[in-house]
Amino acid sequence: MAVDADRLTDEDESPAIRKPNLKLWAGLTTLAFLTHIPLALFYAPEDVAQGAAQRIFYIHVPSAWIGFLAFGVVFVCSIALLATSKRKWDDIAAASAEVGVIFTLAVVLTGPIWAKASWGIWWTWDPKLTAVFILLCIYLSYLALRQYVAEPLRRARFCAVLGIVGFLDIPIIVMAVSWWRGEHPSSVLVKGGMPHKDLLVLMMGNLTFTLLYITLLKTRIYVNALKRVKQEEIAG
Amino acid sequence: MSWMGPATLIARKDLRIEMRTKDVVTSVGLFALLVVVATSFSFPTSGEGRQGVAAGMLWMAFLFSCLLGLGRSFALEKEEGNMEGLMSSPAPRESIYLGKMLSNLIFTGLVEMAIVPIFLILLQLHPGKGITLLVLTAILGTLCIVTIGSLFAAMAVNTRTREAILPVLVIPVAVPVVIASVKATEAAFLGRSVASAQGWLILLTAYFLVFLLVSFATFPFLLEE
Repeated sequence: MAVDADRLTDEDESPAIRKPNLKLWAGLTTLAFLTHIPLALFYAPEDVAQGAAQRIFYIHVPSAWIGFLAFGVVFVCSIALLATSKRKWDDIAAASAEVGVIFTLAVVLTGPIWAKASWGIWWTWDPKLTAVFILLCIYLSYLALRQYVAEPLRRARFCAVLGIVGFLDIPIIVMAVSWWRGEHPSSVLVKGGMPHKDLLVLMMGNLTFTLLYITLLKTRIYVNALKRVKQEEIAG
Repeated sequence: MSWMGPATLIARKDLRIEMRTKDVVTSVGLFALLVVVATSFSFPTSGEGRQGVAAGMLWMAFLFSCLLGLGRSFALEKEEGNMEGLMSSPAPRESIYLGKMLSNLIFTGLVEMAIVPIFLILLQLHPGKGITLLVLTAILGTLCIVTIGSLFAAMAVNTRTREAILPVLVIPVAVPVVIASVKATEAAFLGRSVASAQGWLILLTAYFLVFLLVSFATFPFLLEE
């Protein structure tokens, strides 16, 4: 520990990059999507009030789930990084933040499409939409911070601190925006108002998106590692 | 507490520099005043609901001037290896954080005390009984911003962009503070009692405590050379 206090440490001394089995994960993800899409489009019952527009739910909610999962992974890896200074934690956190931002962006984009169709407006400062939007801003600033620090250990630690602060901020943000609007958000699932078939399709959606998350995460970790090796080669 | 001693020394050092140069309080104070002036022209400041608009304007001025002061305060440590000096002193790392936080709290507090009376006159606000709530909200809100701001300012000055990235890091994370402070201040401008904004004050206190703990735990990692 004392010897390596000034740099990130690798698992072993000669860090050969292991290529992940991307074909397997991409294959599983494709299979899951081929099941999920027909289920969402045809099996799930049509919403009485909102019609077909409600089906965007099966993309919107799983995306939100992956956003939270991804930022949860960033949080755990950030703590692990500060505790151990091992490079792998920074690699996972960085990749997970990238993927999380993409999925959160998907939530913020599919939300207005759904809102336009069922409420007639593109955007409303609904507590949940607002909270997700702020979340997106936090992790965009996380990715920006990564760009502005060159030294690997310093970058890893700075980002870890932001990764911890950002995640702990989520419950406070949710509380603040719900009080701000004078509403108390309650999840559809908690209310227990969800029909059996809808729930099944939603669960399939969550599984599908989780597989997609794992595939993208593994890909990004691999690509980032290749990039680093190449840069080190060039730098000599 | 062993942290407090060195922390007060560091804060006193900052105050002494400030007494001699008067850089921060004058530039940040003027900046805060100008934010108030600029926003007065940008928003409706009369009629129904102006208390809400005024609360928002006041906190924009507080937030931006606090960030300006924090950036300046940590940039000072970056110059001529001051931070290395602090780190090689026997002061624990936590004390450096606490000391910088204290001095920034004092600077921001001074600026706020100067701005609020002018603000109340310019916008023709009569908080009356709400003055207690206003003071309490200003103290808690500023504590929150300085707590998280000091942590991020220590990072920001060590990036390629220097202090420029500080608002990008702080503002999204400080959204709950802005919401709670603005709402409580609006109630104060309407002349309401402390009890009417109890929930917001508790939220601010919780935010302050959570991120003070997080800052204490993580700040030492930011200084490793």
